[in-house]
Amino acid sequence: MSKKILRNEAFQSLFASLICIVLGVLIGYIVLLFINPSGAGEAIMEVLKNFLHYSKANLQLKNFGNTLVKTAPLLMCALSVLFAYKVGLFNIGAAGQYCVGICASIYCAIGLGLGWLPCMIIAAICGALYGAIVGLLKSYCNVNEVISGIMLNWIALYTTNMILSTVKESTSPYTFHLNTHGVDAMLPGLGMDKIFAGNTYVTIALPLAVLTAVLIYVLLEKTKFGFELKATGFNKNAAKYCGMAEKRNIIVTLMISGGIAALGASFMYLTDYEQWMCTSSAVPGMGFNGIAAAFLGGLNPIGTIFSSYFIQHITNGGAYVDKTMYCSQISDLISSLIIYLCGFVFFIKFAMNKYLDKQEEKEALKAKGAESEKGGDK
Amino acid sequence: MLLLVQYTLVFASVLILVALGGCFAEHSGVINLGLEGVMVIGALGGALMMRYAPDGIGTFPLIMLVLIASVVFGTVYSSLLGVACINFKANQTIVGTALNMLGTAAATVIVKAINTATNPNDVSSTIQYVDEKKAFIVNIGSFEFNWFMLIALIALVIAYVTLYKTKFGLRLMACGEHPQAADSVGINVYKMRWAGVLISGVYGGLGGICYILSGVSEWKFENGVAGFGFLALAVMIFGQWKPSRIAMAALIFGFFRALSNTYFGFDFLVSLDITGSVYNMMPYIICLIVLAFTSKKSRAPKAEGIPYDKGQR
Amino acid sequence: MENQYAIEMLHITKKFPGIIANDDVTIQLKKGEIHALLGENGAGKSTLMSVLFGLYQAEEGIIKKDGKEVKINNPNDANDLGIGMVHQHFKLVECFTVLDNIIMGVEPNKFGFLQKKEAREKVLALSEKYGLHVDPDAYIEDITVGMQQRTEILKMLYRENEVLIFDEPTAVLTPQEIEELMQIMKNLAAEGKSILFISHKLNEIKAVADRCSVLRKGKYIGTVDTKDATIEELSAMMVGHDVSLHVQKDESKPGEVILDIENMTVASKMHNNNAVKNVSLKVRRGEVVCIAGIDGNGQTEFVHGLTGLEPLVSGKVTLCGQDITKMPIRKKLTSGMSHIPEDRHKHGLVLDYSLEDNCVLQRYYEPEFTDKFGFLRRDNIRKYSEKLIEQYDVRSGQGPITIARSMSGGNQQKAIVAREIDKNPELLIAVQPTRGLDVGAIEYIHKQIVAQRDAGKGVLIVSLELEEVMDVSDRILVMFEGEIVGELDPKTTTEEELGLYMAGAKRDEVKA
Repeated sequence: MSKKILRNEAFQSLFASLICIVLGVLIGYIVLLFINPSGAGEAIMEVLKNFLHYSKANLQLKNFGNTLVKTAPLLMCALSVLFAYKVGLFNIGAAGQYCVGICASIYCAIGLGLGWLPCMIIAAICGALYGAIVGLLKSYCNVNEVISGIMLNWIALYTTNMILSTVKESTSPYTFHLNTHGVDAMLPGLGMDKIFAGNTYVTIALPLAVLTAVLIYVLLEKTKFGFELKATGFNKNAAKYCGMAEKRNIIVTLMISGGIAALGASFMYLTDYEQWMCTSSAVPGMGFNGIAAAFLGGLNPIGTIFSSYFIQHITNGGAYVDKTMYCSQISDLISSLIIYLCGFVFFIKFAMNKYLDKQEEKEALKAKGAESEKGGDK
Repeated sequence: MLLLVQYTLVFASVLILVALGGCFAEHSGVINLGLEGVMVIGALGGALMMRYAPDGIGTFPLIMLVLIASVVFGTVYSSLLGVACINFKANQTIVGTALNMLGTAAATVIVKAINTATNPNDVSSTIQYVDEKKAFIVNIGSFEFNWFMLIALIALVIAYVTLYKTKFGLRLMACGEHPQAADSVGINVYKMRWAGVLISGVYGGLGGICYILSGVSEWKFENGVAGFGFLALAVMIFGQWKPSRIAMAALIFGFFRALSNTYFGFDFLVSLDITGSVYNMMPYIICLIVLAFTSKKSRAPKAEGIPYDKGQR
Repeated sequence: MENQYAIEMLHITKKFPGIIANDDVTIQLKKGEIHALLGENGAGKSTLMSVLFGLYQAEEGIIKKDGKEVKINNPNDANDLGIGMVHQHFKLVECFTVLDNIIMGVEPNKFGFLQKKEAREKVLALSEKYGLHVDPDAYIEDITVGMQQRTEILKMLYRENEVLIFDEPTAVLTPQEIEELMQIMKNLAAEGKSILFISHKLNEIKAVADRCSVLRKGKYIGTVDTKDATIEELSAMMVGHDVSLHVQKDESKPGEVILDIENMTVASKMHNNNAVKNVSLKVRRGEVVCIAGIDGNGQTEFVHGLTGLEPLVSGKVTLCGQDITKMPIRKKLTSGMSHIPEDRHKHGLVLDYSLEDNCVLQRYYEPEFTDKFGFLRRDNIRKYSEKLIEQYDVRSGQGPITIARSMSGGNQQKAIVAREIDKNPELLIAVQPTRGLDVGAIEYIHKQIVAQRDAGKGVLIVSLELEEVMDVSDRILVMFEGEIVGELDPKTTTEEELGLYMAGAKRDEVKA
C-alpha cells in the first residue's frame, strides 16, 4: 500500500522538490554561517518567515499581499518556461519576453492611455511575437533556443530602455506612476484589497494567473493539442512521422510561452507596484526565477502554483534579514541553489525506484521461497 | 580609431578565452551553458586577489597571483557542473542556467558581506582596483596594451596544439564524438569529460577577470558579465568548434562590442544620431543573424549534451 | 600436457534487472581456431562477449587465458590480455581518420605529443600483410562500411591481439564482401590468431568455423564440430525445435497499380550526391514488392522521400491515382498509406507515452478520439487500444497504460504493426519489419503482411535480410547506390544471383 504511494510519479516529484528545498535552505544557512555566525539562524528564519516578521495581523496581511502581487507574474513566467519545456524547448528567453511585456504594457498605459484590458492583450501579443522569433530561428535555422533566447533578452532590455524613456519622469530614471498618468490602465481590484488590509496592489492578476495554470494543465493533459505538443517534446521524429506539424508546433508553443510571460509582466506593472528604471543594465530576474519555480514545481502546472509562491516567499523574505550583517540577495542564492539541485531530481527519482526495486525483489524472493525463479517477464 | 582597435582586441581576447573554454567542454561532450557564471566567479577570484594582495609586490607577481586566483575559482566552480552532469547525469541546460544565476548571486552575497564587514554603511557589491589594474596595462604610445591580449594568444595556441597534436586532445574529442568508441579502447570517458569541464573552468575564469579588467577600474558584481558567456558560446558555434575559426569569430564580435563603447569617437557615427541603446544591442543582433546563417550546417560534437552511461551501448 | 585453450569462459552467469542474460555458460576457444557462437537475437551472445571484453562483470564464473585465471574489469584489461573485438555497431569516430581511430587508446607519443609516423608505417605493413587495403588518411565518414570494418580489424592487429572477437560482422556486408571477410578470417587463423565469430547465420558458420557453441535464451546448449553437423541440426539447437521459416502463401494475383513512383530523386544528408537517383517503380494490389539491398544504398532515403519525412529533389508519386508528391505527411497518411518505420524507437513510438497513446498516434485527431472542442476522448482511446492489444496479441506489463519504453522490442514492434495495419491502408510500407525480433514474432508479422496482400492491398517491403526477401515477396527489386539495378522473381532466382545484384556486380535495365 505505502509502496504504491512511493511509486507514484507525483509523490516522487513532491518528495524530490522537498529535498531540493531543504538542501537549498541548508546550504544557504551554511553560507550565512560563514559570513557571520552570530546572526545566521535568525537571518534564515527571517527569510522563511517573510511577512510573519510582523506581529500585527494587519501588517502581516498587507505584506502577504505584497508577496502575492509578485507571485502572479512569477507564476506566469514559470508557466511560460514549463509550457515550452513540455515540447522539449528550454525557454530561457522568458526573461526577455517578460521585458517586452513590461515595455508594451507601460507604453500602452501611459504613452497611449489605453485601458487595462487592451494593455494586457497588446502585451501578450507583443510577447507572443517576440517568442515567435525564437521559434522561427529554431525551426527554420536550427538555432539553439537557449542562445537565441539570451541574445533576445539583451535586445529586449535595450529596446525597453529606449522606448520607455519617452514616458519617464524628467528628474529620475523611472517611468511615470500609473495612478497619475494612466489610471485607466490600472488593473481592477475586485475588492480584494479589503481582504489584504487595504493593499490596493492585490488585483485580479492573482486569480488570472492561477486560472492560467489550470488552463495550461487542461490544455496539456486533456486536449488533442496537448497530445501533439507532448509527443513532439518526447520524440520529435515520431511526431513528424505521424504527420504532426512539428515546425508549426514549435513556433506556436513559443508564441504561447512568450505570450504568457508578457502577460505576467502586465500583471505586475499594471498594478503600479513597480516602475521601470530606464537605465536598467540587466533584464528583470523574474523570467529566470520562473525557471526555478517551474522545475521546483515538478514541471506540473498545479505544482508550479505552490513552487512559485514559495520562491517569491523567500525572495520577499530576503528583505527582512539584518542588513548590517547580510544582504537580501541571500534569497537569490537560495533559489539558484534550488535550481541547481533540481538538476538532481532525475537522479533522486532513479535512486528511489532502485531502492524500491531492491525491496520488492527481496520480498519476492522471500515470498517465492522454494518456488523456482521465473524468467524476466517484465 | 586606435581606441576602437584597442577595445576590439580586448573584447576579442575575452571572447577567445571563454569560447575556447566552451570548446573544450563541448569536445569532451558536455555543454557548458554555465560559462557566464564561471566568468563571474573567476572575476570574483581575481578581484579579491587584487583587493587583498599586499601593496608593492611588483607587477609580475601581482599578475600571476590574480591569474592564479581566477583560474582556481573558475575551475572549482565549474566542478559543480562536472559533478551534476557527469556523475549524476543531470540535465546540462538546467544545471548550466542554475550556475549562471548562482554565480551572480553568490558573488554579490560574498562581496557585499566583505564590504559590509569592513564598513557597515557600505552595502554595495563593488570592488575597486584602480591601482592594481595598471599592472595589466602597458602604454605603447597612446595604445593601451593589455597583457590579456598576449594571454589570449598563448591560450589559443595551447588550445590548438592540445586538441590536434596531443594524445589528450585525440582522446578528449573522441569522448565528445563517440564516447562508446572511446570506452571500448579503454579511455575513461568520465575522466576525459571531467578534464574538459575543468579546462573550461580555467579558460572561463581567465575570461572573467579579463572582462572586468577590460575597461573599467571597479566592478559591481550584481551585474554579472552581461551575457558575455553566451556571446562566447555563439562565437564558438560560429567558429565551428575549431580554435582558429573561433579566433576569427571573436575578432568580429569583439569589433561590434567595442563599437558600443567607442562610437562617440567617430564623427560619422555621432552624426547618425542613433541612441546608445542601439549600439548596445548591436553585438547581440549580429550574433543572432550570424547564428541564423551558420547553425544549419553544424559540426557540433555528435555526443554533446548526452550524459554518458556505461550500461547503455 | 600443454594447455590448448586460448580462452576459457567457465560457468558464466550475468544477470540484469528482471532477466538472466547468461545462465551458467561455458565456452572454450582453442588456439588458432575459428569458433562460432550461435544463437538467436537475445540469446545472450553479445552479453557474453561483453563480459569477456570487460564491458560487463559477471556475477558468477571464471575466465581463463592460456589456462590461467584472469580478472577482466574493463576493456583495458582485455586489451592487455590480447583480446580485441569488432563490435556489431562499429566503435569508430566518424570525423577522425582511419589512422587516428586505430591508434586511439594506445597512441605512440613523446611527452603526450602524438607521433604518428611509425604508427602509419605499422598500419600500412599490417594492411599489406593481411590484404586489407585501407588508406590510413581517409576519414571514416568517407569510406564504405566494408572499409570501416577493416579499420576495426586493423585496430585489433595494431594492438597485437591474439584473441579476436567478431560480433555479427556480416550483417552489413554484401555477399562478396562477406566472402572476402571469410578469407581474411581464415588468414588470421592461419597466422595463429584465435577467433570467436558470433552469428546467427548458419551457412556462414558452416563455411568458416571449425567448431560451434550454441546459446539459447541465455543457456549453454552445446558445442559441435561444424564439419560433422548439418545446418538443420545447428538450427534445431539454436531454436530448440524444428521450425520452417518458410511463409505459407498462395500465388499472388496482382491487380491494378496502386503506387506509381516516377523518377524519384532524394538528396543525401551524409554527402553531396543524391542518395536516391531517378528511381521508378510500381506496386500493384495483391502483391508484395520487396526492395533488397545492402544497408546504406539509399533505401532509408527512398522510404523517407516516399513517406514525406524528407523532401524530394524531383519525381512524382501517385497513390491510388492521386498525385501525393507534395502532400504534407498527415495528408499522405490519410490517403491510404501506412508506414512501419525502420527505427521503431526513433520514429515508430513515443517511448514515454503509454501503449494506448501509441496505439492512436496516427488517429488521435479523428472524431472517434477527439471531440469537436479539441478534447481527447479517453474512454474511446482505451477501448480501441484494448481491442488492438487483444487482436494482435501485444503483451505488456500493465495493458493499455504500460509505458512503451518498458515493453520488449518484439511487443513494441507488434504494437506498431497493429496500429498501421488496423488503419486499413491501401498501401502498406514496411521497412525491416522484423529486425531484432525472435522467430515467433517474425512468423507472426510475416503472416500479417501476407494477409494484407491477400486482402487486395499493395505491400512494399524494404529488407536487408536475404531470407526475408526470398520468403515473403512476390517480386524483388534490388537497390544499389540509390538505383534500382534489377528486378527478380523469388521463385526463379537464387541468393547468389541476388547477391551479385546487391553488390553492383550485375545490373539490368529495369523498366518501371
